[in-house]
Amino acid sequence: MGIDNVGTSDAELVRRVLGGDTGAYGALVGRYRDRLGRYAVHMLGNREDAEEALQDAFVRGYRSLARCDDPERFGAWLYGILVNRCRTTGARAARRARLFVRDDAALNGAPLESSAERTELDDVVRRALARLATEYREAFLLKYMEELEYEEMARLTGVGVSALKMRVKRAREQLQVILSEAERV
Amino acid sequence: MFDRDEFIEQMIRHLRRPVEIDPGFDERVMREVAALPAGRRPSVIAIGWRWLIRPRPFALSPLAGAAVAAGLAALVLLLSARQRPATPAAREFQFVLVARATTVSLVGDFNDWDTSRTPMRPVRADPALWTAVVPLSPGRYRYAFLVNGSQWIADPGAPAAPDDEFGVPSSVVTVAGS
Repeated sequence: MGIDNVGTSDAELVRRVLGGDTGAYGALVGRYRDRLGRYAVHMLGNREDAEEALQDAFVRGYRSLARCDDPERFGAWLYGILVNRCRTTGARAARRARLFVRDDAALNGAPLESSAERTELDDVVRRALARLATEYREAFLLKYMEELEYEEMARLTGVGVSALKMRVKRAREQLQVILSEAERV
Repeated sequence: MFDRDEFIEQMIRHLRRPVEIDPGFDERVMREVAALPAGRRPSVIAIGWRWLIRPRPFALSPLAGAAVAAGLAALVLLLSARQRPATPAAREFQFVLVARATTVSLVGDFNDWDTSRTPMRPVRADPALWTAVVPLSPGRYRYAFLVNGSQWIADPGAPAAPDDEFGVPSSVVTVAGS
């Protein structure tokens, strides 16, 4: 990101990209990479898949930038694309049966990505999230990690506010069960 | 024994920490983007439409604001005097479930799917008969019963909800307007 892009509004950067300045898109990538990346990593539970979904979202965002109706809210618009890409990537990964293992015994015993830096809490959080149903995990992350209002969540996911409230509530209930099981082990 | 609610809060704090993305990520995206046709400007029609529908702030003096407010209030009074539509009144609706259970909750659109808001009560003469009375305005509501805090069941005496958006079996009740 060039120094001249610091403080430039999203709308201005979008206008520049649409005007042919492809490099301005780099500023938007730099601006939203970390926040969107965090959602993708926790949603998919796997950095490789998360970066694939994130890259796909940015590229799709570029290709359809002219359809971004409110460039000032480019970030929210792109977030909606990412939520969809994570659903697609997650479903594909689940089909490959290398993510979201439902077998409790396998979950408790299976090593996750190896990393010397991973803390015990990292593992507990990853395992607990992996055991949540996809729609509950999505709602839980948007509500508590991203701290979004239900109306914004509804816009991003296309799911009704009432259903989202229920999903968030059930996600917490499932986590309580998962944690009590972990406590007994 | 640890506090599971506290642990969930700790988990949320943990999730909010930044994650590490590959340092070469931006370059990969921009390489792929550069290979695509340049971003196209929207058409004049698209720009015009966007201008029409975009919300925007506007300034109003206090005097003009008061005049607009008075005008709107007069309009509302005029309309309500000419046509006073009946407000759809909420009617009490009784839900019933036969179940051998220790607790049953009624959960649905009308209570934001909050499992604690509408506990059902057993009938004294028949402890397997659970009821709850809920005021409902005319409309269509989805609902389900939560038995013993863990088992979701649809109402066997009501139409099933057409989709599984909620991830649990659910039923539909339609309250007609009067």
